[in-house]
Amino acid sequence: MYDRRVVRGNTYALQVTPVSTQPSPFEIQRQREARKRALARKRAKEQIQPRTPEPVEGREHIHVQTELYLEEISDRIIEVDTECQTDAFLDRPPTPLFIPAKTGKDVATQIEEGELFDFDVEVKPILEVLVGKTVEQALLEVMEEEELAQLWAHQRAYAELRNAELAEVQRLEEQDRRYREEKERRKLQHMKMLQKQKETTEKIAARAFAQRYLDDLIPSVFNNLREGGFFYDPIEKDIETEFLPWLMTEVEETLERKVLGRTILDSLICTVVEKRLDAFSHQPLSDQTEAPTEESRSTDAAPQVAGETDTADQPVAEKEETDQSVAEEQPSRRISFQLEKSDQAGTEDLETEKQAGDLA
Amino acid sequence: MAHARISASLPPDIDPTKAPIAFGRRALPKLREELHSPELLTQQRALMALCDLVHDPENVYQAIEIGFLDNLKTLLLHRDSTVRQKTTEILCIMAMHNVGRQGLIQNGVISALTELLDDPVDICRKNTHQIFEMMAKLYEGAVDILRAGLIPLLVFKLETEPDEIQELILDTLSNSLRVEASEALATGAVIILKEKLTHSSVAIRSKAAWVLLEIGTHAEGKGVLCEEVTPALVSLLEDSDPQVQASAAGALMFATVKPQGRFSALAAEAIPPLLKLVAEETIKARLSAIKTLTMLAELPEGRKTLLDHIDTFQQCLNDPCEAVKRAAKIAISVIKWKPC
Repeated sequence: MYDRRVVRGNTYALQVTPVSTQPSPFEIQRQREARKRALARKRAKEQIQPRTPEPVEGREHIHVQTELYLEEISDRIIEVDTECQTDAFLDRPPTPLFIPAKTGKDVATQIEEGELFDFDVEVKPILEVLVGKTVEQALLEVMEEEELAQLWAHQRAYAELRNAELAEVQRLEEQDRRYREEKERRKLQHMKMLQKQKETTEKIAARAFAQRYLDDLIPSVFNNLREGGFFYDPIEKDIETEFLPWLMTEVEETLERKVLGRTILDSLICTVVEKRLDAFSHQPLSDQTEAPTEESRSTDAAPQVAGETDTADQPVAEKEETDQSVAEEQPSRRISFQLEKSDQAGTEDLETEKQAGDLA
Repeated sequence: MAHARISASLPPDIDPTKAPIAFGRRALPKLREELHSPELLTQQRALMALCDLVHDPENVYQAIEIGFLDNLKTLLLHRDSTVRQKTTEILCIMAMHNVGRQGLIQNGVISALTELLDDPVDICRKNTHQIFEMMAKLYEGAVDILRAGLIPLLVFKLETEPDEIQELILDTLSNSLRVEASEALATGAVIILKEKLTHSSVAIRSKAAWVLLEIGTHAEGKGVLCEEVTPALVSLLEDSDPQVQASAAGALMFATVKPQGRFSALAAEAIPPLLKLVAEETIKARLSAIKTLTMLAELPEGRKTLLDHIDTFQQCLNDPCEAVKRAAKIAISVIKWKPC
């Protein structure tokens, strides 16, 4: 049979490939003509077909259904919308029990014993399966429990080992703590001991040094005191502090009085000499020769004496003043003394005059 | 809605108390929806089915991923006792797997369970305590329990609950007190535990001694132990049950770390029973006994007494267990130590 799709004949020479995929205008024209020809053919065929004759006058052709059952014919096709959806996750229901409905005739029959089957023989495999399944289930459960029990026993043994190790660790910790505390205590003790030793040596050293230092203390102290004059003979001191000053003051006073007497005497002599001078100046001129020698003597003596008295006067005047001030205190004594002094002063003045006369 | 069942009478081997389980991955989400339903029967049936499913760890993982725990938390406070019982049972089985434990911690189920401690139904309380016990074995779980302030409640419950639950409480306490003991000491747990040491049941005695051991691992606990409990523990060393002996020896081990503990143990004459424990070859308490004697040997009187018994320790050096050998060596070295 000829099938266009199957290539027959020599295929080597057949290399008919269209030059272009698009049909050429020539081909388009050919197709158009072919279509026209087909249409014309169809029209011709329609005209040839026999048709029903036209209705007679006064009558009409009506379409009539001649079937057994009438049908409603309409242009519009009856459409009915139906949906269908599968149920999500619909489970397979358990197999329903199939008890078929009873049909047919009832017939009775009787089965005698031993006719059908031997129960014991037949039941054996069923029983085996049943018992086997039960026992298997039971074994599984027992195994599960046994496994658990073994696990717990294993765990308990492990727990014991672990506890033993833990106890060992804690014991060693405790031991370590005790050793450490003991060490600390001993160290502290040792430190205290060392410290005490150090203190004792320091104390000994300090004591020795202090002793040596203080050995010299008492003699040096006494030396210093003695040099400072704290050890004194009281009688000597008494004499020094009281008696001798008193003695000196008394001596001073006596000397003052003597000086006072002398000054008084000097003043007396002075006044006397002045008076005598006056007197002698007023005397006749016969006495003038003696008088001038005497005057000269007296004037020599007088200025000397005056000089002496002047010189003695001034301190004596001062002393007189002091004497007078002192004399007010001890008037009686002074007066007697003054008299004595004046006597002495007089004698001494005479001596000085003598000396002056000797000199002159 | 049409049911999948054709006949009204059920076949004989379907459990009517359980909800039908959907296939594969759909099982757990469907059960979760059923839990939300307002009908009590549906909820109960869903819980029963869930209870069976949860034995498989993969289901546990899936359940936690889906977010079952929130539903279960709300159901914990349901008014019906069956619902509560089944919920606690489910949580208990979940807590047996590590995935479940982690999930319980992350969803804060422990604080929700505190309400159930006073539940009138015994089984609910028992399951609750079982959950606590399981959770306490994990460190984060123990921390959670401490943070929820459960310790005082548990200590208080010790006095009122029946024996089985007491054992569970003691287990919980021992595991959680390993982390921190101050709360328990504040509520005077030591006094209650001291009473339990003389209880008739062996399990309770050993567990109470174990709790005292855990209290003793902390410093403040040691002080309380030394003062009050050492004589009772020494008397327990001569108990007939090896478990009790092991726990008592362990508790003494920690009590004698402090010097006061050592003195009170010596005063209570702990050395002879401990030596007996060390001499026996196949006993669990050997390690703890050796350790306790090591502690006591640090005291001069103890050392004097133990110098006569060094050969017992020499025997221990032949024990197959590595830890016992080590402990015996340390004990011998401590006994022979002379102050320099």
